[in-house]
Amino acid sequence: MLILLGSIAMAQDAALHIPSGLVAGNAARIGTNGGGSATFYLVGPGVSIKRDVELGKEISVAAKDLQAAGRYVAVICSGNCTSQVFFVAPGKPVDLSFIVHPSRAPVAENDAISGVALTFDEFRNLVLVPSTLQFQWSAKGSSPMSRSSQTREGIAWFRTNSGKTAGPLQISAAIGNDVTTRRVVQQVASIPCNLRIKGQRTAKGILVETEPIRDCSGNPVPDGTVVTFTARGGDHTSSVDAPVKQDIARATILASGPVTISAASGVAMGNELRLGGME
Amino acid sequence: MRTHIHIRTGCTAVLLALIFGALCFSVFAADSSPHVTLNVSKASPRQVEALTQNAILRDYKFAWASMGVALQTNSLSSVNGLFVGEAGAHLSAEVKNQQQNDVSSRYRNQSHKLEAVFYSPEGDIVELHDTAEYDFEILASSKSIHSEHAVVHYIVLMTPGADRWVVRHLQAVPQF
Repeated sequence: MLILLGSIAMAQDAALHIPSGLVAGNAARIGTNGGGSATFYLVGPGVSIKRDVELGKEISVAAKDLQAAGRYVAVICSGNCTSQVFFVAPGKPVDLSFIVHPSRAPVAENDAISGVALTFDEFRNLVLVPSTLQFQWSAKGSSPMSRSSQTREGIAWFRTNSGKTAGPLQISAAIGNDVTTRRVVQQVASIPCNLRIKGQRTAKGILVETEPIRDCSGNPVPDGTVVTFTARGGDHTSSVDAPVKQDIARATILASGPVTISAASGVAMGNELRLGGME
Repeated sequence: MRTHIHIRTGCTAVLLALIFGALCFSVFAADSSPHVTLNVSKASPRQVEALTQNAILRDYKFAWASMGVALQTNSLSSVNGLFVGEAGAHLSAEVKNQQQNDVSSRYRNQSHKLEAVFYSPEGDIVELHDTAEYDFEILASSKSIHSEHAVVHYIVLMTPGADRWVVRHLQAVPQF
């Protein structure tokens, strides 16, 4: 009976007093009741510690053992075991994960660019307390634009149109003045807007070429953009694909009789060119 | 006669072993197979596609089953890349520390109510709220030192991997 009472007393004595408001990366001192020796366990995200302790004295838990925000279980065993659950909250946001899509975007396209930013503390815990994020994007030759956004559950995002001019678009996400993360989206010319072709007979056939090809915002289309030249003469139709090189696409068409030549690239159609037969 | 007895004893032993094995398997399967539901009606700014919804559900369920086995057996062989980033680092560290201290954890009768709260415009990150309910037990030297029926709220970040969705962040919070 005495032994039973003793063990109950021991179990009651071995109580844990966890301080409230624990924040990731801060050491903690856990109070205990009673006397004698006991074994202390702490199980949490990424942590499992076991230590011999003296009841009645405070148990020091090092900062490195409380770096992960989340749910912890502290257990103290002295004959019987007593446990207590507690939470560790994330610290202040000092780090940003910033994902921007795409890496290359055609100019003058609606909602072509989007970005997602996640706020983390110094131990990479997701900071769930709302923070104000400043998104800013700037391209050469245009004034920077910015948008303020409040994180929700650690996340803020934006979507925007691409600019009118080809070139790098600098995008940044910032918390206050201290934490800034930058990304670059390469804005490239969109599809050709207008095609104008000219041609002349040569000894080898008809040499046709485009005038410098640009998108609807006036940006030269990238090298390699394919232009299809089509020649129709009598019952014959022939086509040749030519890549744009330094803004211009060229092709030689073998035809001796009168022909009508047209050009197309993507959805853009060029003018028709009529050439008479070779004399 | 003696041969008959040996055969009969052998058959009985095999039968008992099979019954025992089947019972163990069913108990283990029941314990290690979490029940997961996913609600995507509040996901924004992008709607979660049906195929993606199925994949997230399947992979999250598999991740928890694997984590349960890993923390019970103190071996990461079951995890197989289902946890990456912080979630992966925490799980690895926890298994290693448990092993060192001869501690293990058991998650039994898992039930997870998942709700997608954010799905990025390009579909490369999903944030989920998980209201998880399970019987949680901590064992030290195979002796139970903590046992509870827990209801735990998790903030989860998942990203698509090569052939599955992986858990990148798993953070318990007192409430949503």
